Amino acid sequence: MELEVKREKLVLRVGTQKLEWHIEPRYWRNPAIYVGALIVLSVLVYFFYPTLLPTIIDANLLAAIAIPLGWMTIGTGRLNFGPQFYIGAGGYAAALCSIHLGWPPFVTLLVAIIAGLVFGLLMSPLSIIAGGLYYTLLTLLFPLVFLEVTFIYIDLFKGDTGLFGIAPMVNLGSFTLNQLLLCLMSLFMMLVYMLIVDKILRSKFATSMAAINDDEEVAEAMGVNVKKIKIISFTVPAVMIAVIGWFYAHYYGTFSGITYLPLTFMLKVLMVSMIGGRVQIYGNVVGGYFIAFLELLLINVVGDYSPVIFPVILLILLLTLPEGLFGLYRKRHYREYLPTIHVRR
Amino acid sequence: MAEILKVNNVSKHFGGLMAVNDVSFSINEGETLGLMGPNGAGKTTLVNMITGQYLADAGNIQFMGHDITKLPPYKRCKLGISRTYQIPRPFPELTALMSVVVSALYGKDRTNQSLEDAATEATQYLEFCGLFSKRNVLGKDLTLYELRGLELARALATTPKLVFVDEVMAGLNPSEASKAVRLLERTKEEFGVTILWIEHVMAALMKAAQRVVVLHYGKKICEGPPQAVANDPYVIECYLGSCHV
Repeated sequence: MELEVKREKLVLRVGTQKLEWHIEPRYWRNPAIYVGALIVLSVLVYFFYPTLLPTIIDANLLAAIAIPLGWMTIGTGRLNFGPQFYIGAGGYAAALCSIHLGWPPFVTLLVAIIAGLVFGLLMSPLSIIAGGLYYTLLTLLFPLVFLEVTFIYIDLFKGDTGLFGIAPMVNLGSFTLNQLLLCLMSLFMMLVYMLIVDKILRSKFATSMAAINDDEEVAEAMGVNVKKIKIISFTVPAVMIAVIGWFYAHYYGTFSGITYLPLTFMLKVLMVSMIGGRVQIYGNVVGGYFIAFLELLLINVVGDYSPVIFPVILLILLLTLPEGLFGLYRKRHYREYLPTIHVRR
Repeated sequence: MAEILKVNNVSKHFGGLMAVNDVSFSINEGETLGLMGPNGAGKTTLVNMITGQYLADAGNIQFMGHDITKLPPYKRCKLGISRTYQIPRPFPELTALMSVVVSALYGKDRTNQSLEDAATEATQYLEFCGLFSKRNVLGKDLTLYELRGLELARALATTPKLVFVDEVMAGLNPSEASKAVRLLERTKEEFGVTILWIEHVMAALMKAAQRVVVLHYGKKICEGPPQAVANDPYVIECYLGSCHV
């Protein structure tokens, strides 16, 4: 029996029999291959290098924040510089209910969703009334204001110590097994977000978002209800990001605003979007893993200098790769906007 | 012919500047109404008020029996008002096809129209405007003449009853300009739309328009058949100089 791997086909010879399978280039674009690879990676890391599991969880969560942020950016036509506000909202809501009411994780998930929905709806008018630099500055400001509130109401939020004693997400008795399960859960969450946002960006809803992104005045003149699209595109991603805050709270067992609300965390999230390829949802996965592993590498190699070197490396990459890492692949293909339909005569 | 649009005493000011001052006119169904005036006369501001980009400070606007004075632009579009722009405003990152698909999907109240159906419809409008071969070209990569065609295709895809055409010949060479005028004539024949045509080129309006309204410093100074307007002494003095047409 002989197996021959060629560029475009697999050939298996068994005795005098020859079996061939043609591999079309489009097969490599099947997402199932990459989903499988990520699952296999998690399992392999569990067996051979379990200390890397938290890094993979971090990568999955960063990508899971960047994916709905991409939807929010396209749908509102503006870049939100404060997605971590909703992490804070979801995380603190879940943590407070877990600690004071003793609710289990899957009940606090509903609380986090409601918190994300309420704050998302309250803040969504910003995408209508504010534009350009004003929108950027306001969204940048809100997480910092939230951080100050956690210090003002220190009895409730416990300031920079944060809330601790949050019920764990899973407890299988073994730390590394818990980590593996959390890794798979974070991967599942990221993939679900990718599936949802991908479906939306391939739907007719995306045509209105694309039009708003290009010229919202003309879009409205052509019949697009710009306000409604913006509110949906702001609120639903806010809920999705709040759920990540819930995950962080139950994953670590503690939640402190000082970890998630300042600009440093925002920088990581935005870099995931930019490095992965601006508003490319598949690129966010590449960006998430890149940022998480780069950070780990720098901490191990340069130690205390990593907070300085990390942003410098990211800036260099931004300048040399304006389309991001995933953009290197996209550059070879005809530049398509979302969604695209090809029509023949 | 029934009245399709009635503009009653509309005014608009920007700070101390009165851009449109107490203008009234109407358009009958199936008519081509010309709107002319020197630069800064308030023509585009008036069109922006009718299409909803600006809200009128005074007066009211009636369209097909509906008071649309306070309606947002997207609702006016769904009622049947569409427009092109003086300086073309394509969706730069959308292909020509997808630009027209946006109008086909959202410009009219048709529930559950799929993306594929909208694309099929969009191709018909692109074909009509001679842009089928450019369907996959991004808006920012089209020439000026093609952009004018795209604007018209986009406006027609909303299945309008009234189309505002804003200086369709501006920036085109004579050959392209005459093609653009013929396209507008075909649009009227094929789709039966009412057209309000803003134009500086008097010769084009003379041939196509049944009536002409002239604005000057935000006020209506004349209204009537093109020949009468062209020979009006005040219009000549304000706009055409001392030459008779």
